[in-house]
Amino acid sequence: MTAPSASAPSVSRRTTPPALAPERPLAWPKRTAITLANGLEVVLAESRTFPKISAQLYFRSGNAVVAHSAPGLAEMTATVVRTGTTSRSNRQIEEDLRRMGAGLGSSSGADSSAISASGLAESSSGILELIADLARNASFPEGEFERERRQRFEELKVERTTPGFLANERLRRVLFGEHPYAIIAPTEEQVASFRREQLVEFYREHYVPEGSLLLAVGDFSTDAMLEQVKSVFGSWNAPKPALPTSPAPPRPSGRRVHLVSMPGTVQTQVLVGNLAITRRDRDWYRLTLANAIYGGAFHSRLVLNIREQKGYTYSPGSGVNALRQHGYFTVRAAVRNDVVAATLNEIFYEMDRMRSLPVTPEELDSARHYLTGVFSLGVATQNGLLGQLSTVYLDELPEDYLETYRDTIRLLTADDVVAAARRHFDSANAQIVVVGDPAQIRDQAALFGPITEYDPAGNLLA
Amino acid sequence: MRLEPKKLHIPVEHTTLANGLRVVASQDRSAPFVTVGVYYQIGFRLEPRGRSGFAHLFEHMMFQGSENAGKMEHIRLVNSSGGLLNGTTNYDITNYFESVPSNALERVLWLEADRMRALKVDDENLRNQRDVVKEEVRVNVLNQPYGGFPWLDLPPVAFRNWPNAHNFYGDFADLDAATLADVQQFFRTYYAPNNAVLLMLGDLEPAEALALARRYFEDIPTQPLPPRADVDEPPQTEERRGEVAEKLGPLPAIAIGYTMPKRETADWYAAAILDRVLHGGRAGRVYRKLVLEEQIAVDVDGSADLVDTNGPTQMVTRIFHKPEFTPEGTVAVFDEVIEELQHRGATSDELEDVKVKFRSDYYSMLEGGMGSYMPRFGLMHYLACFTLFDGDPNRINTILDGFLQITPDRIQSVANKYLIPGNRAVLTRRPVRLGGAQ
Repeated sequence: MTAPSASAPSVSRRTTPPALAPERPLAWPKRTAITLANGLEVVLAESRTFPKISAQLYFRSGNAVVAHSAPGLAEMTATVVRTGTTSRSNRQIEEDLRRMGAGLGSSSGADSSAISASGLAESSSGILELIADLARNASFPEGEFERERRQRFEELKVERTTPGFLANERLRRVLFGEHPYAIIAPTEEQVASFRREQLVEFYREHYVPEGSLLLAVGDFSTDAMLEQVKSVFGSWNAPKPALPTSPAPPRPSGRRVHLVSMPGTVQTQVLVGNLAITRRDRDWYRLTLANAIYGGAFHSRLVLNIREQKGYTYSPGSGVNALRQHGYFTVRAAVRNDVVAATLNEIFYEMDRMRSLPVTPEELDSARHYLTGVFSLGVATQNGLLGQLSTVYLDELPEDYLETYRDTIRLLTADDVVAAARRHFDSANAQIVVVGDPAQIRDQAALFGPITEYDPAGNLLA
Repeated sequence: MRLEPKKLHIPVEHTTLANGLRVVASQDRSAPFVTVGVYYQIGFRLEPRGRSGFAHLFEHMMFQGSENAGKMEHIRLVNSSGGLLNGTTNYDITNYFESVPSNALERVLWLEADRMRALKVDDENLRNQRDVVKEEVRVNVLNQPYGGFPWLDLPPVAFRNWPNAHNFYGDFADLDAATLADVQQFFRTYYAPNNAVLLMLGDLEPAEALALARRYFEDIPTQPLPPRADVDEPPQTEERRGEVAEKLGPLPAIAIGYTMPKRETADWYAAAILDRVLHGGRAGRVYRKLVLEEQIAVDVDGSADLVDTNGPTQMVTRIFHKPEFTPEGTVAVFDEVIEELQHRGATSDELEDVKVKFRSDYYSMLEGGMGSYMPRFGLMHYLACFTLFDGDPNRINTILDGFLQITPDRIQSVANKYLIPGNRAVLTRRPVRLGGAQ
């Protein structure tokens, strides 16, 4: 360490925060986007501070495609995909990954399935080859399938004791009805009924190059990476699947309460929601801003109210959840059992306030700064950049989405916020899920609408 | 074939102010953001007896108002500058940090200096945050399957000295007993500039950043620091065992902890690599044996917090096993993995692969951390630990060498020395309702 400096400089101490310095320019890295002859869309961006790369291969089919035939089949397929190929055993795959300093993930959400890997830049070709091997030559070994299925079976049992999971599961059921988004997890019986052939069939149909998306970010030169991508993925050919159309979600009229019963619990998980919009809707920016002021930031009205003033909860918040076909707005808080009614009261009070009165100029300015700053943090890490790119390309947003986002947010007004809140904070018809001890919370929750009770498995209770 | 690794060099500038505050700056112009952290050398290990959970409750109080920035002002000023902030309480450190657009650097330094100088909080703030912390404990521990497993369960079984062995999140009676006088006393004792390091990373000019640090921090008075507390453990001879009821989750769970070598000793480096031989993901020996081959466990992971602790710590394996197996039988199979390593050691190919992954993970950790949204969180965290515990932030550029020179025979000898019953604790979580809640 260098020696301590001799004396402290004498400055008059400031009692007010310093102003912000002039903003420094932000440049999103150049993207190279091309579609190979086989229909695979490839997007590359250099990010060279750390000697690593990250790559994700997305297929545009997820659990929604099979929600009514075999719920969770897409996820099970993704889980088993990584356990063997025609030339590599499970053990070989894991050892190859370690040798390349790489980690691998394979998963499936509602709308897509993905194989992703990140590792040392020096191993980039090996990492791409492994992703391609899993995407093209997965062998679904019988033993690995049976092992993973049993693990999934046990994990499901744990999920059904997790209040946050149970709240999400019930809200999705309520908001989406017959639409496939209603189902976020299979039952234990459904997992038990999966057959290996079903996984293979899903894989053959949906793990295809046409219409799929390969993203790579990291310490590489774009030209060299493009050559590698072409040589690894260029010879792969398969047509994209036809995706089914889905029934419309219900339009609930009036608030209803859905109580998931967990007798004896020491806290209640509260989750309120209503259908909203996707990222492609013209109101998306307005709603994002309204959400930031309502409950989407630490410095937001809901957090100030039920955490910092009332101490009901530790991490309350709200969010806009954008799936491909529909989006929904949620408000969540895990609260002590005696303030369930008081919490719901404040959640709706703050929603109605957003719908009734303009936000202050300070709130507007603060939230616009918050959104533009946090959005741009995505440029600073490979994972952040990958996340932003996947949003743009999976949701098929305009090519200049990253570059124009901040300017679009900066132009929004208090009128925009109130308009978005009126349209998308559907306070009068919001659905209320509470997960907890019915003896302690039933009467409180029933103040907010007709109440229906379920057990953690989803069965209706009398 | 092994490819030539690319070397990473992190620029580090550091100094100590007249009041003893250590300051570290590291430039990275790749994006217009800065991450700023203040790390105080106080964690839950050293909270006052009879006040379990106090260090963490106190961390919350640091967001409740300081001399010139009242309640919610820290949060408002950081969020409205386009940034994120948080704080965490650890064994030996408590940290406060922000990631903001680089034009907010001076503002963030002013905020951190203001709360290092003087806390301005009242009884109402304390009551409020006590309620918030209780809900935090409920949501993370009491109302969550496997909540607190094993980070809260294992230390009371593994250790005998109260600083290492108490409930770090806090008994509710102790939280209720905390007073505003306790808060101010704790602040005076530990939140002194000479007990802290300030870190500034990212889009900045180091000389300018150091000058700003001087301007805002250097006239904060030095405090006499308390004598270093005794956190040493008495010698252990027998295996220690404990059991905790799992009230929600249906699967039995086991945690096995081995106490690790002292920081910065030769064995400490070898133990870090040994941990990765055992726990490095699905290629690690424990996952392979228990999940893939024997199929006893549904999930297994493990780790050793070595760089960011400065006192007794354990390498911990967490096992969630199928209900048809007994905890005793599961531990017996785990023991076969340990014995195999003790008898035969690691192969040199295996060790070379583990080191490649170790290097890769080190880079990832420096780049991100805290999810993907807090750039350079890991870099900040490690620089702080190297400064506070070892007196040298430049270890960020040299520490890898110490890990990467470990040889197979060192792994074997450390396995034989530390992975023994007389150096371990075994904790089981036994489900109250075996097989599920329905």
